[in-house]
Parts: sequence; C-alpha cells; structure tokens
Amino acid sequence: MPTIHRHLDDELHVLADLLMEMAYLVDEQLANAVDALSKLDLEQAERVRMRDDEIDALEIKIDRQCERILALHQPVASELRVIITAIKINTDLERIGDHAKNLARAARVVAESPDVLNAVRLTDMADAARAMLRKVQDAFARRDRVAAREVVADDQTVDRLYQDVLAGLVAYGQEHPEQLRAVSRLITSAKSIERISDHAKNIAEQVVFVVEGTDIRHRKLTERP
Amino acid sequence: MQTRDLHFWYGTSHALKGISMDIASHEVTAFIGPSGCGKSTYLRCLNRMNDLIPGARVEGKVLLDGQSIYDGADPVLVRRRVGMVFQKPNPFPKSIRENIVWGARINGYTGSEDELVERCLTHAALWNEVKDRLSDNAYGLSGGQQQRLCIARALAVEPEVLLMDEPASALDPIATAKLEETILELKSRYTIVIVTHNMQQASRVSDSTAFFYLGELVEKDATETIFTRPSVKRTEEYISGRFG
Repeated sequence: MPTIHRHLDDELHVLADLLMEMAYLVDEQLANAVDALSKLDLEQAERVRMRDDEIDALEIKIDRQCERILALHQPVASELRVIITAIKINTDLERIGDHAKNLARAARVVAESPDVLNAVRLTDMADAARAMLRKVQDAFARRDRVAAREVVADDQTVDRLYQDVLAGLVAYGQEHPEQLRAVSRLITSAKSIERISDHAKNIAEQVVFVVEGTDIRHRKLTERP
Repeated sequence: MQTRDLHFWYGTSHALKGISMDIASHEVTAFIGPSGCGKSTYLRCLNRMNDLIPGARVEGKVLLDGQSIYDGADPVLVRRRVGMVFQKPNPFPKSIRENIVWGARINGYTGSEDELVERCLTHAALWNEVKDRLSDNAYGLSGGQQQRLCIARALAVEPEVLLMDEPASALDPIATAKLEETILELKSRYTIVIVTHNMQQASRVSDSTAFFYLGELVEKDATETIFTRPSVKRTEEYISGRFG
C-alpha cells in the first residue's frame, strides 16, 4: 500500500522540533546556572535570569501547537500519546528552567559566605541531575525506552546525594551560625536540584508511556512492568 | 473571490440570507454546517450552477477579480474560470486521456495534449497510478481515482478557483486521505473552496472555515480559530457535535 504523507506528520515534526529546542535551552540554562553558583559569577547569574523569558515563551508556543494538533487533527493511539506527553514534558521542562533561575539567583547570597560551597557536594549533585536531564533528552529524541527507564532509576542517586548535602549544610550551619543566610539559601538550591531530577524522572516516565503505552508512574521500581 | 449581500431563493424558500464573504486566493476555504444550511447552495452560486434551477432567483454580488460573474457575464466563461468537482465522481465514459483533453479541446486548447494530460494528472496526484494505462476506460478506476480524475479534468481548462462539493463523501478512508493530500498540494496553484459534512476534514485541509446555519453565515475565521476559539456559541455547539 502506498504511504500517504499527512499534514499531521508535518505538525508533529514542528512539535518535536519545538520540544527539542526547549530541552536544549533548558539544559543550557541549567549548565550556566550551576556554573554561576559554583563560581559565584554574578554576571552569568544575571544572564540566566534574563533568558528565562525565552523558556516561558517557548512553553506557550508548545502548548499552542499541542492545542492546534488536537483541535485540527484529532490524533489517536500513539500520536495521541505523543501530544499528551508533549504537554506534560513541556511543563516539566519549564519548571526545570525556573529551578535553574533560582540556582543562579542564589549566587548573590552565597557570595557573602563563599566557604560554605566547599563544605558540601552540591556540584556533584547538580552534575548528576544534569546528566539525568541530558540522558532523558536523548531518550526522548531516540524514543529509547531502556535509557528512559535508567533515568527513572537514576533519580535515587540524586535523592541520596540530596540527603548528604542537606545533612552537610545543617552541620555547617550549626558550626557557623553567622553564615546561616548563605546556608539556608543553599538548602533551597539543593532542593531545587532534587526537584530537577524529579522532573527529569517525570519526563523519562513519559518517554516510556509514549513508546510502550505503559504508564509506570507512582509505582516502585520493582513493581514496574 | 467575494460575495456581497448575496440572497438566493428556491421559489419562495429563502435559502441564502445576505451572505457577504471574502474567499482568499491560494487558500483552502471550507464551508461547514448542518444539512439545509445553505452551504452547497452558496457554493453553486459561485460558478452559476444554480442558473438552470426552475424558479431560482439570486440577488446581490458575486465578484471574481472584482468583476461580477452575473450581470451579463457568460456563464460558460465563468465556469471555465471557476471549476467544480461534485460529490459523486462523474468521469465521462471515455478513456482516462480523453477525460482530460476533451474539455480543453472544445475550449480551444491548441498545445500539446500529451503535456496537458501529464500536467493535469500530476497536479491531481494521479499520474503515477495511471500513466501506463491512459487509454483505458475511466470507469475502470477506483472511486478515489475517479474523483482525482475529475479534479484533473477540471484543471485542464486552467481555472482560477476550484469548488468541491463534498468530494470525499463517497470515498473510503485511504482514498479520502489521498484526496485531502491532493487538495493541500493544489492550493499553491488554485483557490479552493470545499463543502464538507466532515468537520475533521475541514479542520485537516482548510485554512479558513465558514459556518452556515439556516441560510446565514454565522462565522468565518481562520480554521485554527474556529476549532479552538470560535467567537459564536452556536459554532462551538455545532463543531462539538451538540446539534446538526
């Protein structure tokens, strides 16, 4: 049977391109935010803050494209799952962008007491979360369900690092109460990184859903089909 | 193409009530609405197909490139510039090739008939399927192929506007998809107006959509707007299947 080129295919390509653009922008923002915080580079932090508007604009554009496809093409089966997941992934990416902005903002406060940065493995935690984000971007682009499932498991590594960082910051704060402002800000930053890994995990679950049609959310690793 | 305050009567029945509309060039405009709303009557006014209906009467303006297609215009010339494809495929009982060249010939075409046949069939996305059997009778084609042959036949006299009255309603889903693809490819060369009962088809192929109800134009807008944020509640009720 001859293959029929469909207008819907073009619309789905536009959506995929927009999502990849969003993913690359968010990844860049996260990398720059972590860099700004770890080097206490306030100019870099300001650039991250300014670029968040681009992410917000892309979020609206992607939602609009999803609405357009649903209204004009009424996709079904795997194409319907693509739209449902695109809407959710879009939200997760935008939230990661917000967390990146918050990390960059922390630089100004932490710069008042820079020693606190050396007391904890915040950068290791950020690297682990970013690795998850990059891996899930790749899994989404290649529709790789195995890599997506690995990202879901990787979230536990970041959770453990978060507990270590949190404990380290609390201990540091007790020893250096005069630096409490910077310590409390870094606790918030650590939480942001932990949330970034949660969003990456959410995206990974959506990749599994779009490829397999299997919903693995809210299940323990051992219970997942 | 434009209409201004267009009214139409079948005897005493007032079928169109003052329709004013601009139809954009090189776009696909879809007319939707429940049965009896006037969309096909309006379409047929655009190339004077209603002229021969006994007791029918038209008032108002229908303009093509700013000139009235009524008011003394030759209906044969009008229909050459504004072609029509009907609901049911209606090829002539002749060869595929003759279906294309016949109309062009009687309209004085003197160029290469081979070139004409290939060009029209290519534009109608049928060439690859029939190029090796142009002498076969057109009745031997499938319904979807016959409909695309009717499009090719309409293109042979080089119209500016192509009117389509529910062109896919007699076709299966695969033939419908092929026809829709053909429509999308044709719009760069022709202005296309399509009447359809199938709202998904309107949403898939058209750039603008006009919603008719009880002989009136309720709303016309970009198709994306009509199907996401219609400005009239009755349009939303119709496209969401609450009536009609």
